[in-house]
Amino acid sequence: VWVCRCHCRVLLSRTAGRLRARRGLATGPETHFGFQTVTEEERREKIYRVFESVAKKYDVMNDSMTLGIHRVWKDILMHKMNPSPGTLLLDVAGGTGDIAFRFINYVCSVRERQLQRKLKHHQNLSWQEIFESYQKDKFNSLGDSQVVVCDINREMLKVGKQKAQHLGYCEGLSWVLGNAEELPFDNDKFDVYTIAFGIRNVTRIDLALQEAYRVLKPGGRFLCLEFSHVSNPLLSRLYDLYSFQVIPVLGEVIAGDWKSYQYLVESIRRFPPQEELKAMIEDAGFFKVDYENLNFGVVAIHSGFKL
Amino acid sequence: VRCQHSPPLRALQASAVLRRASDEHKKEPLTSSSQQHFDSPPAGHQPEEEPQGPHSSYTGQGGQESEDYESEEQLQHRILTAALEFVPEHGWTAEAIAEGAKTLGLSVAAAGMFHSDGSELILHFVSECNTKLSKLLEKEQKLVQLGEAEKKPIDEFLRHAVEARLRMLIPYIEKWPQALSVLLLPRNIPSSLNLLTSMIDDIWHYAGDQSTDFNWYTRRAVLTGIYNTTELVMMQDSSPDFEDTWRFLENRVADAMTMSNTASQVQSTGEAVVQGLMGAAVTVSNAETSRAVR
Repeated sequence: VWVCRCHCRVLLSRTAGRLRARRGLATGPETHFGFQTVTEEERREKIYRVFESVAKKYDVMNDSMTLGIHRVWKDILMHKMNPSPGTLLLDVAGGTGDIAFRFINYVCSVRERQLQRKLKHHQNLSWQEIFESYQKDKFNSLGDSQVVVCDINREMLKVGKQKAQHLGYCEGLSWVLGNAEELPFDNDKFDVYTIAFGIRNVTRIDLALQEAYRVLKPGGRFLCLEFSHVSNPLLSRLYDLYSFQVIPVLGEVIAGDWKSYQYLVESIRRFPPQEELKAMIEDAGFFKVDYENLNFGVVAIHSGFKL
Repeated sequence: VRCQHSPPLRALQASAVLRRASDEHKKEPLTSSSQQHFDSPPAGHQPEEEPQGPHSSYTGQGGQESEDYESEEQLQHRILTAALEFVPEHGWTAEAIAEGAKTLGLSVAAAGMFHSDGSELILHFVSECNTKLSKLLEKEQKLVQLGEAEKKPIDEFLRHAVEARLRMLIPYIEKWPQALSVLLLPRNIPSSLNLLTSMIDDIWHYAGDQSTDFNWYTRRAVLTGIYNTTELVMMQDSSPDFEDTWRFLENRVADAMTMSNTASQVQSTGEAVVQGLMGAAVTVSNAETSRAVR
């Protein structure tokens, strides 16, 4: 029944698009919003409104939809990144700050281990030297690492900032309002660029990839964590069933917002599969582009280097 | 949806590191050319030319190879070489690789290209040492051929080669045990074994065919044993300039030589015994027949 509904909606929206064109209304380049066809401008607006309305319940919904597995996915992303202290991270579409907080935790623990090793080396320092080294390192628990969280949506950033305060993250974090297709940063600034579950919502993915290339330092790394395509047919059917039957219902029950979560699952279906995204990343100029499937392709991590 | 961006946009990006070779991914020669690094020598970009320069890595399609582009592998080699200088401090780790990348002007994130346990760094180092050893032995062989040096007897040659190779470990000796354990990981065993055997083969090749009555496999196994045990002794050696290690090496090589002599002795004794037995058998059978005849 639900599948029928989706198809109907597709038919309707297609005719609507054609009607619009015939009436000579402002069309602009056409793109998709879930299974609907809209103009690019309309798409940006609709997506903005989606995230505006889900912002407060975003984390809760993530946990319930993915049964908490999204935390594991994000941890795996962080391990793959393996940042060393002194890394400058740009987290785009980072909204509520999940990646940023994990980055800070990771870098802090690496830094602690570094300091311990340094201490073990210097076994015969004078008391004065030990005191000075403690002073120096105490105020540098992050080792000069920094993360900039950039998001196009004010509401998501607000939620993120509140979370940071609540969890006690103050150092090394900045929050910037910006569009992934046109980042407000200079060239060659960042060591790592991540976009976790955000690139799906970008209207012009190629522009976002070009911007990513631009703001990364030479040698910098691009990492993208995103829902992708499940190739196994049995799993794919189960996954579709879960996506279209369970998730919008959860959305209505928990967040009171059916449509936004309907958009979510539709946008996942419309997003390019692993190989295609890999080709797009290579087109933007990245090298050593590779992807890793998590959970049989439900989620994939794409990685590329600016060389 | 795959988009072709206009080349002029990309021409503005000067890739600070990779002088990129056109490869299978890039369909337009123009796109790859505009991505090149403009510091390179004026030989510059020749999209349609075929000449394979000394630096070119592999041919793209249609001869779109340019002479002075480097490949990702070459860049990775450069990073690993630069990382070696940080190994005494950081060990064979991704941190050392990150520091190495920094010295080349790259971001520390470039270390993400390699495995986080430093396997590639260690394998790169071993391979470089083996190359150095080959060059050294080749040079010495040339000197011998030109008559400027005397040919060493086999045991001295082996000692010299193994010592030269082990001395290359001295700057990294503190962290070498860690490297050995990484080389023994199942994932790395094929490569590390390969490197080891090719080095041993190299040494025997330059030792010439001073026959020691061993067959080829035995020779390989003997020298591998000598090399490995000496390496382990070196890890624990605290004598000045590793004298104990070199003395151990001397003894092991002497053992190997004695063993070869013993083996040949055993062989000739064996032959003599067999001949004796055959002779006895013939004599006995003759005695039987003659008795029978009588």
